Amino acid sequence: MTTTVRFEDLTVGQEIPSRSKVVRREEVKAYADASGDQNPLHQDDNFARSVGFPGIIGHGMFSMAHLTSTLTSWLGDPAALKSISVQFRAVVYMDETLVAKAQVTGLDPSTRRATLSVWAEVDRAGERQMVIKNGRAEVELA
Amino acid sequence: MALNQSLKGKEYQEVSFPVERDRVVQFADAIGENDPIYRDPEAAKAAGFEDQIAPPTFVTVMQIMTSGQVVLDQELGLNYALVVHGEQEYEWRRPVKVGDVLSGTPRIADIYAKGPNEFLVIEAEIKDASGETVVVARSTLLSRGTAGS
Repeated sequence: MTTTVRFEDLTVGQEIPSRSKVVRREEVKAYADASGDQNPLHQDDNFARSVGFPGIIGHGMFSMAHLTSTLTSWLGDPAALKSISVQFRAVVYMDETLVAKAQVTGLDPSTRRATLSVWAEVDRAGERQMVIKNGRAEVELA
Repeated sequence: MALNQSLKGKEYQEVSFPVERDRVVQFADAIGENDPIYRDPEAAKAAGFEDQIAPPTFVTVMQIMTSGQVVLDQELGLNYALVVHGEQEYEWRRPVKVGDVLSGTPRIADIYAKGPNEFLVIEAEIKDASGETVVVARSTLLSRGTAGS
């Protein structure tokens, strides 16, 4: 498999197509079952309130999976994604819209690898909350 | 209570994890990943893979299995109610595919304090049956307000 994006198509500063996803309760439950992370913070509103949240929150890894899917669908080849590192900052509540974004920050012609700044955000009452911050990914292109 | 710094470098028991087709489909469904290479072996083969592959973050499933030993280690003194997932890092050498039998040995790569919080870094090099590294996973858990206590 080869990437649909070619190294020569990229320039530093370029943004890749962002992807939005509304975070639904049933998806978070499905993620808990699929991943094995059954922390009640992601399933039980009463528990979430007892630790100071208005209701359940999404798993950090659920947000990271959306960010990773955004990268691999843009690349057209999941094997092209070589590494990713992220920090989880803001939480995500149910029915919020999570937007995954990335921007090219470096290009190495000798390895045909690009580095990207990656992040995920939600808009909460007009303010941008950084769910994933200071993320960095490395990809290898055709 | 502050975390037990002397556990820095501690290795836990190796965990083995066979990658099953249904489990991969369940994970792809849960993250809303519709690409047929994660669902259909024929589509994956047509794309040049040996078999149906797993989405990159599927390795989280194994990581959650393996990290249980660490977070529940009585000697470590971690209060799970105070823990949030702070950071996550993956380095992939190749995609995980159905039929892989993965194994990984979690270790405490670091324990450090920053301000009022402590950070626990758990690392695992995940290998296939032939001993080749498939992915390196590094999770940083943040223990809220336990530094210096």
